[in-house]
Amino acid sequence: MSAQIPKQLLRRQLLAGGRKKVARESSRCFSCSIRHAQQQTAPPKSPREGSATTHFGFETVAEALKEQKVGAVFSSVASSYDTMNDLMSLGIHRLWKDHFVRNLNPGRNPLTSPPNADQGWNILDIAGGTGDIAFRMLDHASTINNDAHTRVTVADINADMLAEGRKRALQSPYARTPRLKFVEANAENLDMISDASIDLYTVAFGIRNFTHKDAAIREAYRVLKPGGVFACLEFSKVNNALFDAVYKRWSFSAIPLIGQLVASDRDSYQYLVESIERFPSQTEFRDMIREAGFLVPGQGWEDLTGGIAAIHKGVKPA
Amino acid sequence: MAPPAQLANCVRGTFRASSFRPTLWRQRCLYHSYEYSQPPPFPPAEAAILSSAISHVPAFGFTLDALKLGARDAGYLDVSTNLLPRGVFDLVNYHLVMQRLALKDSVQFPTEAEQGTGKKIGIGAKVRTLTLARLRANEPVIHRWQEALAIMAQPSYAPPSFAELAKLADEIWFLAGDTSVDTSWYTKRASLSAIYSATEVFMTQDTSKNFAETEQFLDARLEDVRKFGGFLGALGEWADFTGHSAVNVLRSKGLRI
Repeated sequence: MSAQIPKQLLRRQLLAGGRKKVARESSRCFSCSIRHAQQQTAPPKSPREGSATTHFGFETVAEALKEQKVGAVFSSVASSYDTMNDLMSLGIHRLWKDHFVRNLNPGRNPLTSPPNADQGWNILDIAGGTGDIAFRMLDHASTINNDAHTRVTVADINADMLAEGRKRALQSPYARTPRLKFVEANAENLDMISDASIDLYTVAFGIRNFTHKDAAIREAYRVLKPGGVFACLEFSKVNNALFDAVYKRWSFSAIPLIGQLVASDRDSYQYLVESIERFPSQTEFRDMIREAGFLVPGQGWEDLTGGIAAIHKGVKPA
Repeated sequence: MAPPAQLANCVRGTFRASSFRPTLWRQRCLYHSYEYSQPPPFPPAEAAILSSAISHVPAFGFTLDALKLGARDAGYLDVSTNLLPRGVFDLVNYHLVMQRLALKDSVQFPTEAEQGTGKKIGIGAKVRTLTLARLRANEPVIHRWQEALAIMAQPSYAPPSFAELAKLADEIWFLAGDTSVDTSWYTKRASLSAIYSATEVFMTQDTSKNFAETEQFLDARLEDVRKFGGFLGALGEWADFTGHSAVNVLRSKGLRI
């Protein structure tokens, strides 16, 4: 045991050295990606998980810095976000998102609901800058439930991602209608949204990057109406050991490489896979949702593609 | 928790029945006890939504609309139906579980003391009464029951539906006072499951007054089982006798068997 610690230290120093060298050179060779893949088996433990530090991928950074660093990552990937998602997930992220929205079944059918009730749902899509989930929600409400009143507020901390979403909204029928709104906001502090005003709070592939996940879930609890639903689509832990080995190999060697080749930004995608690795498992995250006061349906989550991603839900008690 | 630890907990629990947290260990026990009431089958929020939704089934069927209206009646929102991960199947399941559990209160047989010297009710008659009572519990939703059967037949919902059918058959035999501990335990439950599901399907098409034809159908199927069971018994007896005779004949001829 004691012999392992210096070895780990040495390895970490080697890794740090590798990073510095990479920072100097503008392009990296393929062998670097293999070295990274080997590193992932022993993620360096932070020396002190104090209140002032948090993790940024496998690195430990000051809490104040994380927001800034995540901001930089997403600013740099915003323009190639869709292409990269398709390449990294082999297009499966579209199926996950479709399933997520279909399962939530947003929208209130005016033909089958009592006429006196309020019209449409009020949906808040957190970290939904590019509007992926928002457009799907509105499409589902309009075409499946014949609901022309459901509104989506897209909130994102990153102005570049929001700009990408605004640009895409122009190609949808929802641009310049009251049904779609973009706000720049921090999910841990949603002051512009009043208490108990939201039917459905969604966050798809976003909560992983939050500095304080528990604070964000508490904030979700505050803005939701009694009976409102917190729904989260996020990367999770693969259940099958064999599949996990294949998946880890793919995510730690292929994804940074694709990032380098397509978006010429390796570090952002290295962060992406490391942040997936650091995200809590299904049961841990379910317990976090429960702790905030939500009721969880059934076991609390639904695995997608063997647990690569998972949908977590919580219902605010009425 | 590991089974031995669970068992130990149960045993310890029985020795301190008046301890300060009886509900905790009781839920962990897996045996049936007359001493304690069973915990409610559904958590409170789910039960509130489902029980209100059931009242909308005659008008809206086993659909998401009924669920949404139920959620609204219970003070929840349309979106709160996400609390039920299996959607409409949870509504069907709620009906099945609640009607199964209601059976022990809705059908009361006179005890032997009350019965006095009159003719005793046989187990077969009790099974018939209980099965009929369960079928009649479908009456308010019978015009929608084919919908429910279609939902139950979906591949992902078929296993829990069969499990529920098995639990119903078990409940009926238990309430009828069956105490068999041999292989007939299985055959009884299997044959009752088959009869019950067949009669249920027949009932969805029955237009006779007060479901008289369903009753006849049930009696005919129970009679079939009785005849078939009797035939199997007789066949077994005949085979047993013939086998023994054959062996004895061969022995008498000097064969060392």
